Amino acid sequence: MLKTKLCELLEIEYPVMQGGMAWVADAYLAAAVSNAGGLGIIAGMNSNGEQLRAQIRKAKELTNKPFGVNVMLMSPFVEETAAVICEEKIPVVTTGAGNPTRFMAAWKEAGCKVIPVVPSAALAKMVERRGASAVIAEGGESGGHIGELHTMALVPQVCEAVSIPVIAAGGIVDGRGLAAALMLGACGVQMGTRFIVADECTAHDNFKEKVLAAKDIDTLVTGKRLGHPCRALKNDFSRKFAEMEYDMTVSNEELEQYGAGALRRAVVEGDLKTGSFLCGECAGMVKEKMSCRDIIQDVVTGAEALLGGASQWLK
Amino acid sequence: MKEKIVDIIAAYKGVDASEIATDKSFADIGLDSLDVAELVMQIEDACEVEIDITPELNCIDKLVEYIESK
Repeated sequence: MLKTKLCELLEIEYPVMQGGMAWVADAYLAAAVSNAGGLGIIAGMNSNGEQLRAQIRKAKELTNKPFGVNVMLMSPFVEETAAVICEEKIPVVTTGAGNPTRFMAAWKEAGCKVIPVVPSAALAKMVERRGASAVIAEGGESGGHIGELHTMALVPQVCEAVSIPVIAAGGIVDGRGLAAALMLGACGVQMGTRFIVADECTAHDNFKEKVLAAKDIDTLVTGKRLGHPCRALKNDFSRKFAEMEYDMTVSNEELEQYGAGALRRAVVEGDLKTGSFLCGECAGMVKEKMSCRDIIQDVVTGAEALLGGASQWLK
Repeated sequence: MKEKIVDIIAAYKGVDASEIATDKSFADIGLDSLDVAELVMQIEDACEVEIDITPELNCIDKLVEYIESK
């Protein structure tokens, strides 16, 4: 039976966390993942304090297991969502899109375990020094905002840099990914893309079908020019964005304006042409809709089988 | 203190210390946020000080002032 120190740290059954995907990771998905023995995460995204509080209260109705909130540090409402997390005594806070150190003392005082997403070993070391309970080393295979390094190189280097638990993310959808992550030194995984097609995920069916139909080469990265590279499925929107990005007659403001509202159009409206379908490179490996419980069981039993059979390589 | 920090940053960038402008923003001297995180860790170790990096601490002069005030 697969147990790691992440299970102990977060009081969860399986070492699987669900990523805080904007518009996708709501109370329903987070509660379903937690009820299935993983750690569900509500995306704070650009919600204001009361919108986030409503999601937290809903998740508390749906599960009595621990769940977390992801704080998007570039949000204009980050101060108030940070405060709501303390008030609601959320057991786990993950952070993305920046350096969370200015909030960490308050979260720790409120009893939250703080687990920043880090794109480099130095940032991992910095948040460890400020009291992080663990870090998520997220490679550029991921969907959404990404760093430069990829999972295979990032995870072991972060593991060497810190002594707190490391969770691997980016390109992980199944037991192969979990087993590999453990071999790289991580003690668990965070997955986003695979949970998009979960039965309990409220994302538009068009998004789910697009993930299920994706092949290995069906994502692209845009936004490097704006300093915020972002991986999404190829469609009219992302291809046009990529073209505009290399057109120097298009200003950064025009680019930002073109992208405004595109996430919501994808996830909520299922707008195949003008939506931005944030998704990892591993979409091509996601072939079936299933419940969060079945997803987690598939990942864990797959990893157990691989790890159990690993001695075949030793002669 | 300032000299020590300039030396760390010059070594990191692989340039001579005289080429490092202490009043220009980190971005303007070619350092992104991940470079700054790496350098802050090196400076913390070298100066035995904890640096709470904020957007306001955006150049060497301000960083030195911050460390000296601690």
